[in-house]
Amino acid sequence: MKATVAANSTRNVEAQAEGIRPTLVQHIPFAVWLIVPAEIVLLSVVVFPTLMSLWLSLTSWTPTSGVNWWQAEFQWLANYVQLLFGDERFRAALLRTLLIVVVGVAAEISIGLSLALLFFDDFPWKKIAISAIILPMMIVPVDAANAFFMLFRDVGPVNQLVRILVGHPVRFAWLSDSNLAIVPILLVEIWQWTPLMFLMLLTGLMALPQNQLRAAVALGASRWQLFRRIILPLIAPVVVLSLVIRSVEIFKIFDPVYILTRGGPGTSTETLSMWMYDNGFVYFRIAYVAAAGFLVLLVVLAYVLLILRPLSRRTAAER
Amino acid sequence: MRKESKRSTVVPEHTVSRGDMLDRRTFIKRTTKGAAAVAASTAVGGMPWVTSAMAAVSQDTPDARAIAGAKALLGRRQVRQLTILEPSGSLGDIVPVAKEWTRLTGVEIKYIEVPLLEIAQRVLQEAVARTGAWDLALPASFALPDIAESGVVVDLTDLAQKYRPDDGVAGCQMLYPIANYYKGRLYGFGTDGDTYMMFYRKDLLEDAQEQTRFQQEHGYKLAIPETWEELDAQVKYFHRPDKNLYGGALFRSRGFIAWEWNIRFHGKGRWLFDDNMKPQINSEAGVKAAEEMLAITKYLDPGARSNGLFENFEAYGSGRSYCNIGWGGSQKYFWDPKKSKVYGKLAWGMAPGGKVNGKKFYAPYFNWGWNYVVNRYSRAPELAYLFAQFAYSPKMSTQAVRFRGGYFDPFRTCHYTDPVIREIYGDGFLAVHRQSMTHNFPDLYLKGHGEYWDVLDANLQSADVGKKTPKQALDETAAAWEKITNRVGREKQIAQWRFVKAHYPPELAKILA
Repeated sequence: MKATVAANSTRNVEAQAEGIRPTLVQHIPFAVWLIVPAEIVLLSVVVFPTLMSLWLSLTSWTPTSGVNWWQAEFQWLANYVQLLFGDERFRAALLRTLLIVVVGVAAEISIGLSLALLFFDDFPWKKIAISAIILPMMIVPVDAANAFFMLFRDVGPVNQLVRILVGHPVRFAWLSDSNLAIVPILLVEIWQWTPLMFLMLLTGLMALPQNQLRAAVALGASRWQLFRRIILPLIAPVVVLSLVIRSVEIFKIFDPVYILTRGGPGTSTETLSMWMYDNGFVYFRIAYVAAAGFLVLLVVLAYVLLILRPLSRRTAAER
Repeated sequence: MRKESKRSTVVPEHTVSRGDMLDRRTFIKRTTKGAAAVAASTAVGGMPWVTSAMAAVSQDTPDARAIAGAKALLGRRQVRQLTILEPSGSLGDIVPVAKEWTRLTGVEIKYIEVPLLEIAQRVLQEAVARTGAWDLALPASFALPDIAESGVVVDLTDLAQKYRPDDGVAGCQMLYPIANYYKGRLYGFGTDGDTYMMFYRKDLLEDAQEQTRFQQEHGYKLAIPETWEELDAQVKYFHRPDKNLYGGALFRSRGFIAWEWNIRFHGKGRWLFDDNMKPQINSEAGVKAAEEMLAITKYLDPGARSNGLFENFEAYGSGRSYCNIGWGGSQKYFWDPKKSKVYGKLAWGMAPGGKVNGKKFYAPYFNWGWNYVVNRYSRAPELAYLFAQFAYSPKMSTQAVRFRGGYFDPFRTCHYTDPVIREIYGDGFLAVHRQSMTHNFPDLYLKGHGEYWDVLDANLQSADVGKKTPKQALDETAAAWEKITNRVGREKQIAQWRFVKAHYPPELAKILA
């Protein structure tokens, strides 16, 4: 019945369109017409803004100029050149963000994998323990950052704890020392998002072929051998995928920076997102930020391809 | 303090009648000067409605005219609702006014609340989106130049000529009208008297033993400081961390640190720019101001470098610091015995200045404020204007300022005599606040304010934590300011800078070089 209706409507569409452009309609299958609305939506929310950003990145437009964005002064690659060769603050923010990505992801994967291995075996209250571990990632990032702000204030509990541990008053300027301020930012990020890493890796472990593991145990493999020779190679794709997901996310780190330090002291904790926020929404340099956005896209793309490289090699070898 | 002021400051002692005359006439005079400067450079006119403001005071009032105007408009139009884009936390101040407006006109007010620091962005989004989703907005006063240049808000000059917002306000003049203008044209109505003020611990300041000891150590009397030199001496003197007392809770945090430096810099007797918009901030005076400011950081509350506004309230309200800096909103917190341990123990002063040619002077500073602006893409811009005039009127603005939990502070002369406002702020504070509002120098009302200020702020904080020397920080800031000026357009900036300069308090303008 459904097939008949579909066939009829296909003929109707074709018949109606025949009078206008018969060759075009004949060459486009009915199934393609069905996805046209979805494609239009996709074009308007992804492709159009991207093209608009690309155009803006080649202009000097700001919303405060009083000029329509499509009439903005075209200046070729001036924004890109300025960003790459004349904007030290941008370059510093880029390097700082890369550092946060590397340190943050390394910590998250280490802790997440350790926890996942711990939870690989059964033990009482396991489900409750898992629920407790994944709680942080359910908290709104701004709230998590705010909690860390309270903890790391000069007169906050962290310094009180340090005081109790060392036995005399100690006051670390966690949020206002340019060398220390990155620590609370990293900690909040690691605390909140390690659970995601744990969850992904635990899922990967649970999907391992049990026969191989049991066979290895039966043949006398030690725990380390089991991990090194069997588990790690088998979950490598999951690890790489987790790395990619978290790296891309940390590249966009904003909430903890904004809440804890606003990029300060000075610009010592300014990340790319914070830099973009300031330039876009405080300085209103939208065109300049659009250019920065494309540069960052290229950097992230290169980074992701680099991480995916071993996986691609392995896939190619397996083929 | 009053005695001291009479003796040695160049800021005239403020009295009610003097203040009223000064504000109105001086403003008109200065505006004429500023507008002429602007007109010469940009061929933009002055403020024609000012002439009508000088006319004899009639029986009708701005709020009554706004209501009558709205009723007349509503006879012809179908709009029965206005939407206000407002910063979070301001609803308490706006709602009483809006309710009265709805009662009198039948026009409902809807609200779109956005985070406090994001309202300018949201207003500017309208330059692209052109939705007309809101009719009025309440951005910070310092964002007005950017917003006006974007063309997203209505130039209200002609509407003001028609509805005369400043006629019939005898005894209730606006004390700080410059923030309503950009290049001599009216773009907004101020709603908040955000003058920056000093808070001192009166119990320590007036303690006989402290007075004697201080006098012995410094050779002059312990009193409300008139200069930063005196203030710094007091901060050091009262810094007793072993007794859980710090010299001050002044801000050293991002987003705040540049304001104090700006006052200190003015205290050294210099303009931020010369007449060609070349920055003077990295001059000897600027570097000295920065060095002195950073030298007292170690005597401040331990959270000084990370405290935001509310952490500052909490820190000073706990009673662990001798002095603090802040706005009327700070006073509302400190003057609430349920929240604050310094209730009843405070003395207030205008922001200190300096000493030039042997004369001491204060340098009070207006550094925030909020302005009602009207969306160019509103379906009812005239009606929206009328609401803004209604809210700005003496009667309704008093209602707004009365809200204890809000942050609109007194900005009209009659606010200072309103019994509810007096109870909320306390008479001692209000006397100094009024004096400060009357004599404060304006914020940097230039296009690109956000960028100018943020660069300064970031560099000063870098200097504060030892990442840069004060000279290096200010040199880098000056270079960045030059780039911003060139990018925005030097001639354009020069014209507005002249306008801003023309509205400096004359007694301070005479000193600045």
